[in-house]
Amino acid sequence: MHSSTSNFERVIPALPWRGITVAVCVFALIAVAAWEIHCRAVGYEPTLNDTEDLWAEARRRVEPESIVIIGDSRAWFDSDLDELERGLGQRPVQLALPGSCAYPVLADLADDPHFHGTIICSVVPRIFFAPGGPPVEHSEKAVRRYHGQTWAQRASHYLSVPLEQSFAFLKQDDLALEELLKDLPIPDRPYAQVPPRAPPYFCSIDRERRARMVEQCARPGPLQEKVKSRWTRLFTPPRPPKFVPKEIFEAKIAEAIEARYRNTKIAVDKLRARGGKIVFVRFPLSGDLKVYEDRATPRAKTWDPLLRQTGAPGVYFEDYPELSGFNCPEWSHLSAGDSVEFSKRLVPHLRAALQL
Amino acid sequence: MLFNSLTFVVFFLVVLAAYWTMRSWEARKNLLLVASYIFYGAWNPPFAALLFATTALDFYLGRKMGKLHEPRQRRLWLIISVAVNLSMLGFFKYGNFLLENFQWVLARGGIQYKPPHLDVFLPIGISFYTFHSLSYTLDIYRGVMRPTRSLRDFTLAVSFFPQLVAGPIVRAGDFLPQLDAPPKPLKGRFLWGLALMTLGLFEKVVLADTILAGSADRVFGYEGPLIALDSWMGVMAFAGQIFFDFAGYSTCAIGAALCLGFHLKDNFRFPYAAIGFSDFWRRWHISLSTFLRDYLYIPLGGNRLGAARAMINLIIVMFIGGLWHGAAWTFVVWGLLHGSYLALERLVKAFVKKDAAWANNLGVKLLAGLGTYVAVLIAWVYFRASDFGVASRLIGGMFGRHPTGDALLSTREMLQVGIVTFFLLAAHWSLRDISIETAVERLPRWVVTTAWFLMACAIILTQGSSNAFIYFQF
Repeated sequence: MHSSTSNFERVIPALPWRGITVAVCVFALIAVAAWEIHCRAVGYEPTLNDTEDLWAEARRRVEPESIVIIGDSRAWFDSDLDELERGLGQRPVQLALPGSCAYPVLADLADDPHFHGTIICSVVPRIFFAPGGPPVEHSEKAVRRYHGQTWAQRASHYLSVPLEQSFAFLKQDDLALEELLKDLPIPDRPYAQVPPRAPPYFCSIDRERRARMVEQCARPGPLQEKVKSRWTRLFTPPRPPKFVPKEIFEAKIAEAIEARYRNTKIAVDKLRARGGKIVFVRFPLSGDLKVYEDRATPRAKTWDPLLRQTGAPGVYFEDYPELSGFNCPEWSHLSAGDSVEFSKRLVPHLRAALQL
Repeated sequence: MLFNSLTFVVFFLVVLAAYWTMRSWEARKNLLLVASYIFYGAWNPPFAALLFATTALDFYLGRKMGKLHEPRQRRLWLIISVAVNLSMLGFFKYGNFLLENFQWVLARGGIQYKPPHLDVFLPIGISFYTFHSLSYTLDIYRGVMRPTRSLRDFTLAVSFFPQLVAGPIVRAGDFLPQLDAPPKPLKGRFLWGLALMTLGLFEKVVLADTILAGSADRVFGYEGPLIALDSWMGVMAFAGQIFFDFAGYSTCAIGAALCLGFHLKDNFRFPYAAIGFSDFWRRWHISLSTFLRDYLYIPLGGNRLGAARAMINLIIVMFIGGLWHGAAWTFVVWGLLHGSYLALERLVKAFVKKDAAWANNLGVKLLAGLGTYVAVLIAWVYFRASDFGVASRLIGGMFGRHPTGDALLSTREMLQVGIVTFFLLAAHWSLRDISIETAVERLPRWVVTTAWFLMACAIILTQGSSNAFIYFQF
């Protein structure tokens, strides 16, 4: 017998709990069904969420000699894995992350002693050379999840996949409560530092993390316009902080960009020392976004020095007529159909750059 | 395994089904023990071995102590238990902190020494289970309980999964008696447990993570000075976030335990309606404050050795309480602030008549409550800030030292913080003298049904895009 020091017993509220529970379950089922019907009616389809766990699952598929795609959303949308597999002889692993800097993933692969495969690295200068903030943090979080994923997180991921494949309302980036609240039309104070919103749902994702633009976005219409308008804000750099003198701030940014060049070279050298290969790729873009990127991050100040400093080969879509004729419906990515054709045409250039 | 994860939903359903299907009480306890170790091992399996080592040692030392009558010998075994438990906690939690401070002290003396960084992971929930386990040997030493003969029962008491990683700190003396016999049937216990789990999850995933965490993170992560409005909003957001996060976990734990037929005590009792700081600590993290009271404050002499000594004791206890939360001087300052608040309150009370009519005036009570809340907010700044630079910048902002500082938050974020804080304070004030059970019992059925339904829908709408519980890091 234990020596009892406590006979504590919680009070149970005297209510008809069985009836209440049944009512709650029935109402909740009806509400969820109604919400699902509404989400489908406004254009959502069941698709996977591009979570850190899905990324970690893809990262685990990387073998020592794999071909790996890293970088931002352009590599994510525009790379058709079937075409690349046909052309390169091996199915690539898709590790590009939307809105994210490739460097943390590149550094992680370069530090992986088992990896001596091939990297196809997308470069959007504004994102690749981001000194910090969400583009870098997003990639770092994914890498951290891969290295520190617990069994429980992995199990939750496997359980969530069939649910996300069945229900349209399980779209975290758009339809989670937090995102719905962000959509409330409430005006802000003029100088409030409100981060720009990411574009709404305009792609589907499969288990290999292959992103395909949805049809509503590929054709002219309100969704396409909405996505375009979001790019303008997302690609506009935030105001420099008031609390740091302008020259010091600019010097810090310049230093961070220099460090990115330096560290990229170190990572590329490490990879090559083990027999690995890398090719940088500039994927297509169009419209106002292209005008803006060409002006804000000109090739001569970003792409060219990157290739020069790392000594790595590169494929710039504008250098080749067969790659430059594509139109990005929302300025930044190719439609699902065009991404297949683009990938097919990209293959010979990748083979030449990588000397395959 | 997080309560707010699909893995836990499946795990809990399987455990519940197996538990209530088994007839043998011994088999059910075995099942709970295995389930608890799976729950814990799902984070990092090797740490389950550490958990077992701590438990087995205290079981052994408890038995040793139970056989002895000589106080000196009993004290020796207690010292071993306390030393081993605290050394383990110290190594994992405070190793690097101590080395860094040692380096700083040497540098002040002109000695340059760079200690190696200890590359150790902090075992999740170590602060909680160390206290669960330690309460056993401490209570045996105090003569409050006799040692158990079952290692399995004691192991289950320490590792019982609902309360294992973030409390409440359940004392062995409260839990072991419940293992003597299977729980008696109690009408509504299981479903009330589920309702409490829904409430706890709603507090955590909807209120803490979805509504408040973003504003708190942005304000505390900002590197520049902020105007007063944004500073206060950020701190109020954190005050709400930490309450809903931690109280949410405790409520889930209590609910999950009830579903299995076990009764855990309250860990929170509407703390933001506290009038004064001793009242606050009777309402906030009750299992920790009573632990520190019984095992530290009273052994130090409590208030038996005069007013001055009592005040010093309060400060010592809160210093330890601050350090328990994390290996950083900011936590120590948070603890010391609360210690000073408590000491000051004791001083004020010495000059105020207990039954003074004006002290019971509602206006005075509200004012005192508001004062307590503001003082608690100021202390939270040190708890949440990553360093003293951030803390002092934010305190400066709160008190108008940066009139030309930045405006950070969106109107939506401020509305979220303002509305939730208003309802949080209103709810705490209206419920401050009753329990959640009494409050629910007084409500019409349709209100209970609607509230439960809305909470469930809001949880589903968050889609699991939620964070780990704040108290896991402690």
